[in-house]
Amino acid sequence: MAWAIGANDAANSMSTAVGAGAITPKQAVIIAGILEFTGAYFFGKSVTETIRKGIIDLSQITEPTVLIYGSIAALLAAALWLLIATKFGLPVSTTHSIIGGIVGYGIVYAGLGIVNWGKMAQVVASWILSPVFGAIMAFVVFKAISKTILQSSTPVKSAKTHSPIWIGLAFVVIGAMFYIKVMHGKSLLTAIVKFGIPAGFVAFIISFVVLRRNFKSDDPYIGVEMIFKKVQVLTSAYVALSHGANDVANAIGPVAAVYAVATMGLAGMKVPVPRWILAMGGLGIAVGVATYGYRVMETVGKKITELTNTRGFSIDFSAATVVLIASWLGLPISTTHTVVGAVIGVGLARGVKAINKDIVKDIIISWFVTVPIAAIVSGIIFKILMVM
Amino acid sequence: MQVWTKLFAKSPFKPLIKHAEVVLDTVETLERALELWYDKKYDEMEKVAIEVDNLEDIADRIKEEIRDSLTTKLFMPVNRNDILEYLHMQDKIADAAEDTAKWLLIKRPKEIPEEIKEIILKMGKESIKAAKLVHKAIVQMDTVIESGFSEKEIEKEYELIKEIESVENKIDGLDTKLMKLVFENEDKLSWGDGFYILNIARTLSNISDKAKDSAERIRLMMNK
Repeated sequence: MAWAIGANDAANSMSTAVGAGAITPKQAVIIAGILEFTGAYFFGKSVTETIRKGIIDLSQITEPTVLIYGSIAALLAAALWLLIATKFGLPVSTTHSIIGGIVGYGIVYAGLGIVNWGKMAQVVASWILSPVFGAIMAFVVFKAISKTILQSSTPVKSAKTHSPIWIGLAFVVIGAMFYIKVMHGKSLLTAIVKFGIPAGFVAFIISFVVLRRNFKSDDPYIGVEMIFKKVQVLTSAYVALSHGANDVANAIGPVAAVYAVATMGLAGMKVPVPRWILAMGGLGIAVGVATYGYRVMETVGKKITELTNTRGFSIDFSAATVVLIASWLGLPISTTHTVVGAVIGVGLARGVKAINKDIVKDIIISWFVTVPIAAIVSGIIFKILMVM
Repeated sequence: MQVWTKLFAKSPFKPLIKHAEVVLDTVETLERALELWYDKKYDEMEKVAIEVDNLEDIADRIKEEIRDSLTTKLFMPVNRNDILEYLHMQDKIADAAEDTAKWLLIKRPKEIPEEIKEIILKMGKESIKAAKLVHKAIVQMDTVIESGFSEKEIEKEYELIKEIESVENKIDGLDTKLMKLVFENEDKLSWGDGFYILNIARTLSNISDKAKDSAERIRLMMNK
């Protein structure tokens, strides 16, 4: 499952950077592999628990074997659906798939009552909200960048002064999330003041000095794109990190549930997710990136030629911020949804030259069918496992 | 994930610029034909005029390709209809050049007063200016989008549009002058030659007319 996530989803984090020509597919694979692992291992904790315990009421599952078989069914269903979807080029969310899988076996075992519908509604709401927030954020970010840099009378000079601010801001978010995720801090204020602002400040100073020292281009727009080309490598790394933090839960949530049963002998108890399971998930994603993600990113790099670096930055920065904030709130959201939302947001800001409306429609349809399909498949697998 | 390759559709602007290049080529070739015609090198002129026809065909093919790819499926920063209308007008520039070339091929005139021939040559030169400006304007439109619709770039675009309009005005003046001259010289010209010259003038002024229409469409693209 982790492999499938790495193969499929992880390419998203770097796709805009590769598409805009900021990095080569090979570099993308290495960066993504390392950062997805880091994100999964260090940042992945709370979301993992949300999926494991939140969606269905585990106290209704009295037999430990049910939980084990159920988790296996959920994992198999999600992985299978992911595989089929990839085969047909359907952009489905791994988060949807695994939630569908868990709900599926839950309903088969104990009926509709087992599903925590409140939580489910919250999850569904976050699926709708994440692309919307992604779109709004990207719209604002792109508008702001074009107002401050592209539309200024001296784009290169403005880029020199304004892009460090953007880099700084990106690092404020990274720093703040580092505190909340790794140090398990609770206060957002402390996170921003103690970690976000210093990180942002350091990033600001470094990028400011570097940009002063070497910047050469005659065409102002090419010059601006050059700056953002470099910044985009950082923002892509940032997306990869947050993706690892969020999506590792999909692969190891059910594994953690199985582990809890195996070690404690009972279900539903509050057990922390052991580090080694997170590491395993992270490793799986990294291997997925390396073995299959390479091919995906290579195609992406060749085919998306219409995306420029400022647009890519706007999409990445917005998506990463939305994903990390959602992750801090404990909501399992999909990177894919947020990035799609962000792309549309930049499109609405008249930034992207052409977006395929049909594909947007397909994506939205796939968002709605994934949960029921994964649920049905998981239910069937669970039934078979229980009979055996 | 394949979705990223599919989500971003191919932008029509690069092909539009390509089309503008071919249109400019067509008009430039026509101008060469006019020069040969002026020098009475009719055999060579015929070859060049046929070349104009070939270039117009190429422009047509590019136009069809752009039309096929510009489906309602696309979500773009400018209105789809404005692009299609623009393309139509830009293509009409090449059509007008081809029409002129056709008239050149239709007959070999007897003696045409020098004055008249000079005006025709001048109209050809100005037409190239118009076609060049249209090419510049569509390249600038690409920059306008690239800059996120920056005021400064939009201003530059408006200046190009104004320039196209002034070239069109100039050609209109030449056209009127030519018509007058034809009737002033009606004793020296045969009925056929007069008809022939007036049609060349009409098709030539069509080139800049369509250039102006193209510019008009670009103006609309900017205020979606």
